[in-house]
Amino acid sequence: MGDAFCSDCKRQTEVVFDHSAGDTVCSECGLVLESHSIDETSEWRTFANESGDNDPVRVGGPTNPLLADGGLSTVIAKPNGGSGEFLSSSLGRWQNRGSNPDRGLILAFKTIATMSDRLGLVATIKDRANEIYKRVEDQKSSRGRNQDALLAACLYIACRQEDKPRTVKEICSVANGATKKEIGRAKEYIVKQLGLETGQSVEMGTIHAGDFMRRFCSNLGMNNQAVKAAQEAVQKSEEFDIRRSPISIAAAVIYIITQLSEEKKPSLKDISGATGVAEGTIRNSYKDLYPHVLKIIPSWFAKEEDLKNLCSP
Amino acid sequence: MAARRNNPSGIVPTTQNIVSTVDLDCVLDLNHIALHSRNSEYFPKRFSAVIMRIKDPKTTALIFASGKMVCTGAKTEAQSKLAARKFARIIQKLGFPAKFRDFRIQNIVASCDVQFTIRLEKFACTSHGAFSTYEPELFPGLIYRMKQPKLVLLIFVSGNVVIAGAKKRDDFYTAFDNIYPVLAEFKK
Repeated sequence: MGDAFCSDCKRQTEVVFDHSAGDTVCSECGLVLESHSIDETSEWRTFANESGDNDPVRVGGPTNPLLADGGLSTVIAKPNGGSGEFLSSSLGRWQNRGSNPDRGLILAFKTIATMSDRLGLVATIKDRANEIYKRVEDQKSSRGRNQDALLAACLYIACRQEDKPRTVKEICSVANGATKKEIGRAKEYIVKQLGLETGQSVEMGTIHAGDFMRRFCSNLGMNNQAVKAAQEAVQKSEEFDIRRSPISIAAAVIYIITQLSEEKKPSLKDISGATGVAEGTIRNSYKDLYPHVLKIIPSWFAKEEDLKNLCSP
Repeated sequence: MAARRNNPSGIVPTTQNIVSTVDLDCVLDLNHIALHSRNSEYFPKRFSAVIMRIKDPKTTALIFASGKMVCTGAKTEAQSKLAARKFARIIQKLGFPAKFRDFRIQNIVASCDVQFTIRLEKFACTSHGAFSTYEPELFPGLIYRMKQPKLVLLIFVSGNVVIAGAKKRDDFYTAFDNIYPVLAEFKK
């Protein structure tokens, strides 16, 4: 309700504001003076005690500092179930016209996210892997490289840097198509690139058998006693001159511990599946460990007679 | 060979392989060479050079159509030069005006045994970690890239050390002299 100048009546008339349609209407001749007026009052009500998960003030996902614009752009998503004619339609083509510089990055991040999901890794490791990938990509010399191997190597390095190493074989299992050799080569390449970019900042400790013990043991379902004994055994075994890869030593120690415990003993095949070490290698590592077995296995776990009963390799 | 420089341990690395190149300075017909010599193989689809072998010194040469030749497998520098000359002679006898230009030794590989076991994980963690790469999953030896002289050493737990990338004998003697005290620190 107010007064405004109506162009039809050519004088000041009473004007009615219709809230439902957003029109300002002259009450005498019915001319619509302004339509589509924007309501600037608040959209929602905020209460002090209620927080909830949906804070209407915040929109979109967390900003990603690695992407060029912080991830502000909008993406047209593929609808679930039966999108046969959608992607080939103009909307899908518009989305993929490839003008945003981040497309490769976003795709790579998605692949890394898939791989880390399959391995059950925490978000810290995934973010670190994304960061490593971005740093490597900034130096444009990685074009000809096998992309899968590069991403797998980024994940491998991220796990190492967070002190939660994963064996190359484990990374192989989730990386589609990358072989151990390719991942190893990609890893060397990345370490070199990161070393070039910032002088020698890549800090990665050597792997130890103990880092993998918890995971391998829980894959096999060993009880707590056995896990503790295995960890102690592996610590002690580092003092002896056993020239085997730490993973093979870990697998052999698990074999010995499980043979000593009374519960259901996993076969060599089960241990081979859980650790990724070949059965022949476990047997050979067992042969190397056997002379020191008395000193390695903690005494509270198994007594000497049990150790003597252990089958000789 | 001149007398060996003394190293307190008395251990001297021995050469295992020498790679050298020489320019014969004439265009060669590889098919002709392959057909008229007994000890050569030439598969152009696989590799565009003739691979020729001689029995004494036991060496292999890659002979390219441009006239350049790579000679590998000799155990000493003198043997490498002698072998390269023998190959050049064979090419001459086949009718090409081969000369012996720019003989250069490109790579010398040497190995030795320090006689004690080495703790590689400790080595990689110290101040030498910047130059070392030790990935037991990928390769059992530690790869040490020495900056001065610029070459690569492969150090194994058993105490065997392989030195590669030297262009002169002195280079790998110096390298071994440099690395020996460091290794002794990490004796097991």
